[in-house]
Amino acid sequence: MSAEPSLRSLRGGRLLVSVVTASAMLTGCVSFSPDGGFAAVSSAARERVAKDVVWIRSDSERNTVEQRVAELLAKPLSVDDAVQIALLNNRGLQASYAELQLSEAALVQAARLPNPAFSMLRASSAEAGVREFKIEQALTFNIFSLITMPQATEIERRRFEQTQRAVTLDMFRLANATRKAYYTAIAAAETVRYQQQVRDAAEAAAELARRLAAVGNWNKLEQLREQSFYAEAALGLAGAEQANLSAREQLIRLLGLWGYQTRLNLPERLPDLPTAPTQQDNIEQLAMAQRLDLQAVRLHTEALAKNLGLTKTTRFINVLEFGPARVLEGARDSGYKTGYEVSFELPLFDWGGAKVATAEALYMQALNVAAETAINARSEVREAYSVYRFQYDIAKHYRDEIVPISKRISEENQLRYNGMLIGVFELLADARSQITSVNGYIDSLREFWIAQADLDMALIGKPDLNLPDMPRASATAAAEH
Amino acid sequence: MKSRRDFLFGAGAVTAAFSAASVSKVALAALPELVSQTSPDTQAPLMPQNGRPYNPVVTLNGWTLPWRMNGGVKEFHLVAEPVVREMAPGFKAHLWGYNGQSPGPTIEVVEGDRVRIFVTNRLPEHTSIHWHGQRLPNGMDGVGGLNQPTIHPGKTFVYEFVARRPGTFMYHPHADEMTQMAMGMMGFWVTHPKDRHPLIDEVDRDFVFLLNAYDIDPGSYTPKIMTMLDFNLWSWNSRIFPGIDSLNVRWKDKVRIRIGNLTMTNHPMHLHGHEFQVTGTDGGPTAKSSRWPEVTADVAVGQMRQIEFLADEEGDWAFHCHKSHHTMNAMGHDVPTLIGVDHRGVVKKITELVPDYMAMGERGMADMTEMEMPLPDNTIPMMTGEGPFGSVEMGGMFTVVKVRREQKRNDYSNPGWFAHPPGTVAYEFDGALAEPHRRQDGGGHSMPRQHQHQPGQEIEVQVRKPSGHSDH
Repeated sequence: MSAEPSLRSLRGGRLLVSVVTASAMLTGCVSFSPDGGFAAVSSAARERVAKDVVWIRSDSERNTVEQRVAELLAKPLSVDDAVQIALLNNRGLQASYAELQLSEAALVQAARLPNPAFSMLRASSAEAGVREFKIEQALTFNIFSLITMPQATEIERRRFEQTQRAVTLDMFRLANATRKAYYTAIAAAETVRYQQQVRDAAEAAAELARRLAAVGNWNKLEQLREQSFYAEAALGLAGAEQANLSAREQLIRLLGLWGYQTRLNLPERLPDLPTAPTQQDNIEQLAMAQRLDLQAVRLHTEALAKNLGLTKTTRFINVLEFGPARVLEGARDSGYKTGYEVSFELPLFDWGGAKVATAEALYMQALNVAAETAINARSEVREAYSVYRFQYDIAKHYRDEIVPISKRISEENQLRYNGMLIGVFELLADARSQITSVNGYIDSLREFWIAQADLDMALIGKPDLNLPDMPRASATAAAEH
Repeated sequence: MKSRRDFLFGAGAVTAAFSAASVSKVALAALPELVSQTSPDTQAPLMPQNGRPYNPVVTLNGWTLPWRMNGGVKEFHLVAEPVVREMAPGFKAHLWGYNGQSPGPTIEVVEGDRVRIFVTNRLPEHTSIHWHGQRLPNGMDGVGGLNQPTIHPGKTFVYEFVARRPGTFMYHPHADEMTQMAMGMMGFWVTHPKDRHPLIDEVDRDFVFLLNAYDIDPGSYTPKIMTMLDFNLWSWNSRIFPGIDSLNVRWKDKVRIRIGNLTMTNHPMHLHGHEFQVTGTDGGPTAKSSRWPEVTADVAVGQMRQIEFLADEEGDWAFHCHKSHHTMNAMGHDVPTLIGVDHRGVVKKITELVPDYMAMGERGMADMTEMEMPLPDNTIPMMTGEGPFGSVEMGGMFTVVKVRREQKRNDYSNPGWFAHPPGTVAYEFDGALAEPHRRQDGGGHSMPRQHQHQPGQEIEVQVRKPSGHSDH
């Protein structure tokens, strides 16, 4: 508050100072928090997914994170470790932390008084050797901002909280995507191994067929038929390898890894199916209470309500400025007239109706968006749960019915082979189809774990159902004959 | 004799389809006793207790149906019913038959006998019996719809006629015939001559059996009744080797074997070590001038052949159908020929995927009898049977005629393996083998090919010569 010294003597100057001081005392001081609002994010990470998050803003923090990531990568990666690495190391997440800072800066800004304005008019003319002056000096302060400051601060505070939730949600989304990518990558690697077995079976058959033809026991047609199964099996394997590569890279991207880190060590098998699916009867209530997107949308709506209230109070006033002024007119020595200046726009043409309508529309829009979000959240969580149950049943069916049956079929075929009732080629074809059914189980298990991740996500926020599904390598074609 | 005598209502195997509530007990009293047999063993000949005397036959893995005399009429009671037939030890088939067995009991009568046969139907569908080869009134011939109404489930019909012509006959249904014969419904019939017959010799042993075939998938029990030609089990009296009893005879016995064919193909029946003559067909005894010595007689579809020989060579003589696949049990028809195919390297690869895999067939199919690996339920190997010198590697229509000096007259028991006199068994030569001269020109061609094989196009044939055990 460094007004021009020449104004200090003004009565209006004292008035201005006292108004400003009083206003500043009214609004209270808003300053930057020591954690930049990150505590909300890190406590959510601890409570909901039991993970640490670090907002890397210094080299020492960067070093700590790198060390931690290196430790986690040293052993076969569990799903929790994968999520932990992603939360520490994903640069996109770090980038979203900057939003916190931006939002907090806006909040602090809102709580600061605007600077006073000094205006001066100086005009003179020389008429018959006499210089006539007109000088107007005014120090004005936008007192309107004093009225709006508490409300604006409140709005920005809510925006800041919203940002905190959005960032937290980003973090959970990343955790969810990481889980899905993790399961997908393991399943893809398992599929490659099974496709290799299919290829080996077809290769053995093709080799045997070649030898049969070489000694004259088989004709070219029979040999070529086996050869073509082999060719198809090789194609199936190539597809599975490509899918594996994509799945692995997707995971690597989410974990933010590069260089030697990309040689990450995944377990050989997906975790087993749980003995029973989780029963959740109160799943909708749980989602209503927990979902961050619902909280964010509520805060947004509240902020808009405040906004609307503000707009209504200030609809006629655009700018209201007030401050001391002094005027000199005539000769230089005729002395200043002091007073004050108040200026505001007359709502002659714009009665502020459009502004109110806009604010109202925005508020109503937000209300509907909030309602929609709540309705969708209930639906999403129901869907996520039923997908979870469905995938559980499918995987269980594969594990308890399809795989054992195809094993028993293989056993019976082995007995028939023993009795020379079927030949080795039928035995190999059967081995291929058994492998395919095991592969089907792996696929279903992967889908189950993905559904589990989506269900967990649906209880926290909107599940990201658009995550690209990895292409399924089909071994069926090779096994059918 | 292990036959079990049951009265009609005491019989265990009453099927759901059989509802005898409509038949009163008074009416049942008029029926001859129902005799049933559950053992698949060859039963001793049934010596006639009454009626005209005759020399009874022995039914291979079967039995003869007892009768009662009722006012000078021989009365038999046949019951058509589902049965479980042990086709070989460890392999049971769910068949239809008569009086507890498939085939049904042999009916033995004497030329001129008046015969009354009660036929009760305990099957789920109607049936009839045709008396194959008999001279009889047209209404007794048993063709359902043509000569009589069919016998519905639970009903009993009576057939009555005079056995006019001595000879070898059979009986089988003539209603839903394909199903009922595929299910095993058939039986033997012998009419013995009343007096000495110029064309029918007295014999010491008289064996009878029917040739029949089934299509039972390995691991299942019931024949596939829609099969027309591609049967997988070739049997004598619904038995397959090693389930067929040996024909045990005394040295210098005059032996008669009567064979009827109810399969869908012919069977060249071949006896080792002896010549025989066909002395009769289902048309009657053959004229002496028409008989010539044979070691193989073809029995065509629907025919009966009666062969006779003097068992004057001691030993265990193979007796079988000469269609080699008829001396096999169930086997795969689409199994590739692996003879001469080198399995090295491939076996390991396959074993990684199919852990119980063993290479078979590289040297031929005898591998199979050597390995004794587990098979599907209710299945016996396609070739098996342990002889004194190792596996006989046979199945289906195969057995042994055992000729022994020490066998007693009318003793049908199995004397065990033949003790060969010293120096009468083939032996291993341990001298050096000279390389034979072979023609190199490939033989003369009356019409040589215009386009010769290009050099290098020859198929590489790897003949795997025996060299101890190959390692698989």
